[in-house]
Amino acid sequence: MVTISAPPDKPRRMDWLFDKLLSGQGIWPAVPAIIVLTVVAVIPFVMLLSLGVSEFSVSRGQIIDQTFSMRHVTSVLTDQLYWTTFQRSMSLALTTTAICLLLGYPVAYVFLIGGKWTRRMILILTIAPLLTSGIVRTYAWLVILGGRGVLNTAMMNIGLIDQPLRIVNTHWAVLIGMVQIHLPVMILPLIAVMSRHDRKLEEASANLGATRMGTLRNVVLPLSAPGIGTGAALVFTLSYTTFVVPQLLGGGNYLNAATMIYEQVVYSLEWSKASVMSMLLMSSCLVVLVGIALVTNHFTGWTRGRQG
Amino acid sequence: MTIAQDISLASSDKTAPVLRVENVSKRFGTFTVLQSCSISVSEGEIVTLLGSSGCGKTTLLRCIAGFWAPEEGMILIDGHNTVPVPVNRRPVGVVFQSYALFPHLTVEGNVAYGLRMRGVPRSEISRRVADALESVSLRGFENRYPSQLSGGQQQRVAIARVLVLEPRVLLLDEPFNALDAKLRGTMQIELRELIKRLGMTAIFVTHDQEEALTMSDRIAVMQGGRIEQVAPPDEIFDRPATAYVADFIGLSNFIPCKVRDGKVTLPDGQSVATKESDTVKVMIRPHNLRVTAQGTGPWQGQVRFQRNIGPLIEYIVTAGEAEIRVVAMRQDRTRPWSEGDAISLEVIDPEYCTIYPAV
Amino acid sequence: MKFPDRSALGDMLGTGAIVGMGLFALFLLVAPSIIVLIISFDTRAFVSFPPQGFTFDWYLRVFEQRVLVEAMLNSLQVGITVTLLCIIMGVPTALVCVRGQFRGTTALSIFVLVPHMVPGIVLGVAVLFAAAAIGISPSIGLQSISITVFVLAVMVRTLMSRLQRMDPALEEAAANLGASPFQTLRTVTFPLLMPAILAGAVFTFIEGFDNISVAIFTHGFRDRPLPVELLALVQTTNTPLVAAVSGVQIVLAIIALIVVAASIGLEGVNE
Repeated sequence: MVTISAPPDKPRRMDWLFDKLLSGQGIWPAVPAIIVLTVVAVIPFVMLLSLGVSEFSVSRGQIIDQTFSMRHVTSVLTDQLYWTTFQRSMSLALTTTAICLLLGYPVAYVFLIGGKWTRRMILILTIAPLLTSGIVRTYAWLVILGGRGVLNTAMMNIGLIDQPLRIVNTHWAVLIGMVQIHLPVMILPLIAVMSRHDRKLEEASANLGATRMGTLRNVVLPLSAPGIGTGAALVFTLSYTTFVVPQLLGGGNYLNAATMIYEQVVYSLEWSKASVMSMLLMSSCLVVLVGIALVTNHFTGWTRGRQG
Repeated sequence: MTIAQDISLASSDKTAPVLRVENVSKRFGTFTVLQSCSISVSEGEIVTLLGSSGCGKTTLLRCIAGFWAPEEGMILIDGHNTVPVPVNRRPVGVVFQSYALFPHLTVEGNVAYGLRMRGVPRSEISRRVADALESVSLRGFENRYPSQLSGGQQQRVAIARVLVLEPRVLLLDEPFNALDAKLRGTMQIELRELIKRLGMTAIFVTHDQEEALTMSDRIAVMQGGRIEQVAPPDEIFDRPATAYVADFIGLSNFIPCKVRDGKVTLPDGQSVATKESDTVKVMIRPHNLRVTAQGTGPWQGQVRFQRNIGPLIEYIVTAGEAEIRVVAMRQDRTRPWSEGDAISLEVIDPEYCTIYPAV
Repeated sequence: MKFPDRSALGDMLGTGAIVGMGLFALFLLVAPSIIVLIISFDTRAFVSFPPQGFTFDWYLRVFEQRVLVEAMLNSLQVGITVTLLCIIMGVPTALVCVRGQFRGTTALSIFVLVPHMVPGIVLGVAVLFAAAAIGISPSIGLQSISITVFVLAVMVRTLMSRLQRMDPALEEAAANLGASPFQTLRTVTFPLLMPAILAGAVFTFIEGFDNISVAIFTHGFRDRPLPVELLALVQTTNTPLVAAVSGVQIVLAIIALIVVAASIGLEGVNE
């Protein structure tokens, strides 16, 4: 009879190898990912940086004759066009973030006070768009805001206007599209905070004499500061660096940093300028993100544990 | 393989302890959690590691199970040092505090798990699983998932899951924590009977002294990574080896006294022999004290608080600087003393007091 | 005690305004997709509202257009490749990040998570340039690996959050019952991780299928993926054909949503 209390036999050869890999709980299983990330992300970034400070030519899709030069950095930094483009990108992204917060926070509040089914509905309505292509969602706005689109037709039918308004290909169309497309990204982190929210806090607040609005301002809002920070950071990054929305709803007249990089890489083949712009895009984005993090940090002192 | 055979051969020797922990020390960084702990457990014995949280009881259990390796010392099972043996090859079975039942496996799957890992033939697995479930009276629950069981049933599955492997030592980490208070009492008795019936050697970990007193053949009281005393429950309660044990188990009054000519004079005038010298702390259990009318003895005080705990009455008496707890049986003909009453205290049995050096 | 009666009306108005705004925002989230769906059934050859008639013609047309079908197949290929790569690399990486017994697990998880915070367009440009420098031309392969690097973080994060909430006693129990580390992984950790892997797979597949910011720079010149094709199509045509393609994608999204809801639950998306 088999002695049951006996430890198991030596594992098979393959298992033994896997055991060795796993049992040390060392870094080995992560090595493939590390290699791929290094080759496909780290090295390309270093090269992007090097191309920005180089003189080179592109021939049949290949880079040749690369030599060090600060010419493109200085030319980008001194050209007024680039400054205006970045300013436009920045103000568009900041406005989008602000409006998303303004629209998204009430959704999160409805989530907070809502029952099980309201909560589920909000989750479905927020997650579903994230699983849909950005182009499809932008296209919907072409349909709505177009010359013979839903909005113009509706407004003409009720006699508000005689002539279709020109909305597509304006700043407004881009802004509307940006807000709607990035709204879910703002709502999700807010909802995450709200679902961790202890309802007893509101009862306590009400019991202490606060009105609903008072509770919102003094209890719910401060507690959701981390969610606001996360949401704002995500929305800002995405809307600052997207080219789909400006490309489609701005109709090529509306140039932001991302569309400019796209054109430089794909059409005008100014790869050095594109490198410089990419680096600028990333670093300016980082600056704003650090700013958002600092502000959030200031309002979330309560999340940090006792010091010492 | 060799270890397995050695163990099954060695287990025939009934006189040697099944488990011997020798001078085991465990550190995390610079923090010492176990300081040369030693304990031995013989065949069929239930030993409890008792202590407040952070005393090292769980660490010792995890070292025996092999989840953590001690820096010093040996853990011998049937005379063989198991410290170098990997977790999955030790003949010990652990019942976890959370039970750690595999949520994706049925009751049958959970109980069969260990046998499957050992490559036991299918037919034998089903027979063994059926036996194990029978012994914890869970026949008919084979196809349920853990989430469909009550807390008590989950606990029994967790036990069956290790019993089926016939481990040499059963380790139970606060197994009653997840149960509600009412169920706890009956489960404690049932579990002790089950372990005894199967003749298992078991180590319990708990912070609940009542549980320890119910379950164990012997109790090891731990504190600060050390084992303070290992003794049967009665001895732990009646003759605690250290002041810490006396304080930890049950209620106790500590009274500083002087030793003269090898004798301690208690506040009520009676005296006890002692080997200690100078100043000592005398521990008197609350039920070893009697409250009498004022003037009957030299130890005088005043009742500060009086409460009724079912069949007992508890008094807190202010006597000089000290607060003394007294517990008396409730008898309907005697009038209980009320708060504010001036009374005298008297030790019922001076020999029942224990004496410790005053540190 | 003094009760603030005076503000009761203001309180109701305030709450009402906020709830109203929230409902408006929710409406804003769905309305466009619904309008696109309605238009995709229009019988007229140009986009207009309200639609006249009802037809499935545009959906049939989508599958008659060789360019679109090929683009869909390309995207499908990218989506599947990205998903498989993310599972193969993501599962071991997540295990190491959570269970690793060495210094630097935090550094490792940051290293894996950072590429997803880099703007997609910058990653796309960087990969394109780096490939060009060593003479590799854009292709489905390049596109797949770049998107993999971009979204590996999503898979790893989903798995890490599941692993962190898994009772460590489960794996200890497996070891105590005689399972070797690999057996523990195979019989306990992996089955319990399955829902998270499935949810991660949905997100990575959708990203592989729909990503444009990375794809536009790295896709093969002849193997254009769906989003790139769609971007061109939207700018050049005004027929409900695009609406029909959108309709197909919306159906895809709904399937994805159901899979996510069934695997980790909708709340799990936020973990």
